Amino acid sequence: MAQVQVQDKSAKGGKVRSKKNNPAVDMTPMVDLNFLLLMFFMFTSTFSKPNVMDLGLPAKPKDETQKPPPTEIDLSNSITLLLGKDNRVFWHQQDQAGLNDQTMIETNLDREGIREIIKQAKARAKKKDLFTVIIKPTDDAVYKNFVDILDEMAITQSERYGVTDLKPYEKAVYDKKVGN
Amino acid sequence: MARIKPKRHGVVTDMTAMCDVTFLLLTFFIMTTQFKKPDVEQIKPPSSISEKLLPDASLMTINATPDGKFYFQPVENATERLELLEKMGKKYNVTFDNKQKAAFQKVQSIGVPMNQLRSYLDLPEDEQKNYKSPTGIPMDSTNKQLTDWVEQSLSVNADYKLAIKGDVTTEYPKVKSLFEGLRDIDFLKFWLITSQEGKPNE
Repeated sequence: MAQVQVQDKSAKGGKVRSKKNNPAVDMTPMVDLNFLLLMFFMFTSTFSKPNVMDLGLPAKPKDETQKPPPTEIDLSNSITLLLGKDNRVFWHQQDQAGLNDQTMIETNLDREGIREIIKQAKARAKKKDLFTVIIKPTDDAVYKNFVDILDEMAITQSERYGVTDLKPYEKAVYDKKVGN
Repeated sequence: MARIKPKRHGVVTDMTAMCDVTFLLLTFFIMTTQFKKPDVEQIKPPSSISEKLLPDASLMTINATPDGKFYFQPVENATERLELLEKMGKKYNVTFDNKQKAAFQKVQSIGVPMNQLRSYLDLPEDEQKNYKSPTGIPMDSTNKQLTDWVEQSLSVNADYKLAIKGDVTTEYPKVKSLFEGLRDIDFLKFWLITSQEGKPNE
């Protein structure tokens, strides 16, 4: 293949010489095939690995004495996100007294939605290093919402975040919003 | 007057060295590739921007199916699997014969409660692969078999890592009960398996 055999037309009537055998074996197709297989195995071994995301959970306090005192987070330093059904997301920055239908605002999981809101809230926070995101997935949420929100935490570089359950007053407002 | 043409020779490259190298690499990759075994149930993990790849550590995996069933996939190591099975058997008062133990060393993932494990391991291998458990491994506040599997695995070897693979549509309360269970046994660091998504440029 890579060799071009040049036919030697020698004078006629010459002695018939036994053809000299070329000892070189053409390895090109073999190398081709090898590379092909090599490619295949290389890609299968790197692509079969899934991506992972770290998750650390807070330790459960063993008894009441170990429980840390409830920390007061200033309302402006925190934002609460509620993951609802059908991929809906709500957010608020209120306490029990201030939370109602108007102050719980619906947004979406797009770039312009929740990401902007987290960024704005972060910019508004009085102590930016204490800015905390509180994630409250409702029972209607699916696993994807949870992973998406953790993803948003990574994108917006909000290192302080917590996952917890809804408070009863939040649940009441949420239920009214989604019509449960 | 004909010009004397120089005799043309074929261009020969010696491919032997190249061939050697490719064979060497090929052998290496063939040896190291592990083909993914097919899962019993289809699970589509949600996407994330995380670029971290699943490490090679001895890994146990919990699969959460769309309808909220849990499958547990113990570590690959056969002798440690045996130890795990014995510990679980002791805890739930189930004894296994040698054939079941051998089957457990080869099993891909477990999706049955402890009281059905023996009959599951008695199934022929092809049937095991296609057996879709109607219940999965129980995991609720009263029956925590799933975290028991994790706990007993850790007592065999504390270096085990845990990865959780959930489906996009797995309901959150199911995942929450799993997380709570893991908090109960003080196992707080693990990985969530996700699929790759482009990092947003900003």
